[in-house]
Amino acid sequence: MSDDLKPIANPTVVLREEFDDWAILFDPDTGNAFGLNPTSVFIWKLLDGRHTIRDIINEVQKNFEEVPDDVEVHVNEFINDLIERGYAGYEWKQEG
Amino acid sequence: MRLMKTPKSIDIEITNRCNLRCRYCSHFSSPGDVDRDLPKEEWFRFFEELNRCAVMSVTLSGGEPFFREDLFEIIDGIVRNRMRFSILTNGTLITEDVARFLASTGRCDSVQVSIDGSIPTTHDSFRGEGNFRKAVEGIKHLQGHGVPVTVRVTIHRQNVMELEDIARFLLEEMGLPGFSTNSASYMGLCRKNAEQVQLTPEERSVAMETLLRLNRKYNGRISAAAGPLAEGRRWLMMERARREGKREIPGGGYLTGCGGVMTKIAVRADGVMVPCGQMAHIELGRINRDSLLDVWQGHPELNRIRQRRMVPLSSFDFCRGCEYINYCTGNCPALAYTIIGDEFHPSPDACLRAFLQKGGRLPDERILEA
Ligand code: SF4
Ligand code: SF4
Repeated sequence: MSDDLKPIANPTVVLREEFDDWAILFDPDTGNAFGLNPTSVFIWKLLDGRHTIRDIINEVQKNFEEVPDDVEVHVNEFINDLIERGYAGYEWKQEG
Repeated sequence: MRLMKTPKSIDIEITNRCNLRCRYCSHFSSPGDVDRDLPKEEWFRFFEELNRCAVMSVTLSGGEPFFREDLFEIIDGIVRNRMRFSILTNGTLITEDVARFLASTGRCDSVQVSIDGSIPTTHDSFRGEGNFRKAVEGIKHLQGHGVPVTVRVTIHRQNVMELEDIARFLLEEMGLPGFSTNSASYMGLCRKNAEQVQLTPEERSVAMETLLRLNRKYNGRISAAAGPLAEGRRWLMMERARREGKREIPGGGYLTGCGGVMTKIAVRADGVMVPCGQMAHIELGRINRDSLLDVWQGHPELNRIRQRRMVPLSSFDFCRGCEYINYCTGNCPALAYTIIGDEFHPSPDACLRAFLQKGGRLPDERILEA
C-alpha cells in the first residue's frame, strides 16, 4: 500500500469514547461494534482525507511514548482492517 | 458497573397518546403525562445532539408510538443521526406498510409487541375487544418483512394460569424466537386496579415455578429483567447462598438493583429528561435547553441515584435481622418509590423475606438445572 494515500473514515461509523480513552467503533447499519485502544482512537481521528499514512505514522511517533520500531506495520494493518470492514476508504480522485 | 462517558442508549416516550386504555398501563396517571406531542422538529434537534454524543440506539415507547402520524419521519431522523432503534408497541397499528417501512431502514433492532394471552379473551380482557387479533396480525406483518420482533407478556391475575398455553402459542404456533415477561407492577393505572391485576403470593409462586419450568423446556427462550421469572432466578440463588452460609453474592448487600442509570437515560413525552421512564418524577432538565452531556455527567439527582449502590441494606430498619441481607440487591428504585415514596430504599415488592412471610413459596431449586 502506498504511504501517500489519504484514508478517510466512513462518516456513518460512530466513535464512542469512554472515560479511560478507550473507545468503540459502532456501525449503525450492521449493529457491529469493536473496541479501540487509545492509539487506535488517535489514528481514527486522523482519517480525515487530509493525512497520508506517512503523516499518520509521524503523528503517532510524535504523540506517543515507547512507539515500537514496527509501528508502520501496525498502522497499516489497522487501516487495512478498517477498510476491509468498510469503516474507512480512500477518496476517489477524478483524473484530469 | 462503570459509568459511561455518554449514554449508550436513550428511552424516549415519543407520545403520551394511545389508541388503547389497558388496565395496568402506567400512563394516564404518571408525571409528565401530556396530551400534546412535542413537534418532530424538537426531536430532530435532540437527535443531532445524540449523534454528537455518539449514542448508539433509541427505544421509542409511549403511549403508542405508532399513534403518532409522523412516526416515519421521526425514525428517519434517528437513522440520519447514525443510530439504531427499537419500538415498544401494542402492535395493533402495525400494517403491511408499517412493517415494510421498518424493514427498509435496516436499523431496527426490535419491535416489542405486548401479548398477554394465548386466546383473545385473556388478552382483550385488559387491553380491549379485538386487540389480540390486531396485535397478532401486526406481528405477522413484521415477520413477513424480516423485522426482528419480540413479545412482552405482562403477567397478571387473569393470565397467570395460562402461561403454558401462552408459551406454546408464541414459540410454537407463532414461531417467535423468544419472548420476555414482566408482571403488572404497582404503577400507573395498575395502582387503581391493583386487586384485579397484581399477583397474590400464591399466584406469584405458581408463575415463578411455571416460567422456570417452561424456560427449561424451551431452552432459555423466555427472558425477564423483572417479574416472576427474574425474581425466581434471583431468589433461588439467594436461598441457596443462605443455606450454604455464603458470605455474599455479587451485588448483594447494597442497593445495586438498578444498573440502568449507568448506561442510559430517558426522555418523557414533554421533553423532560428523567433517569428512567419508571422514575418520571425525577426531572433532570429539558431537551434542547439543557445539555445532555451536562445532565448525564453532572446532574446531582442523577448522581445520587447512581450512588444508591453504595448504600448498605444493613442501614434499613426494614431489613434488620434478615437472613438474605448479604445476597439481596433491594431491586428497582422506581418500584420502591411508587410503594413507599422513597427510591433510596429496598423495594418492598421484591423483598424475599416478605414474600415468604406472606405465604409465598420458592420452587424446587433443581428446576434451574438443565
Ligand atoms: S429504576 Fe427500575 S425500571 Fe428503571 S432502570 Fe432502574 S431497575 Fe430498571
Ligand atoms: S428484608 Fe427483604 S429487602 Fe431487606 S435484605 Fe431481606 S429480602 Fe432483601
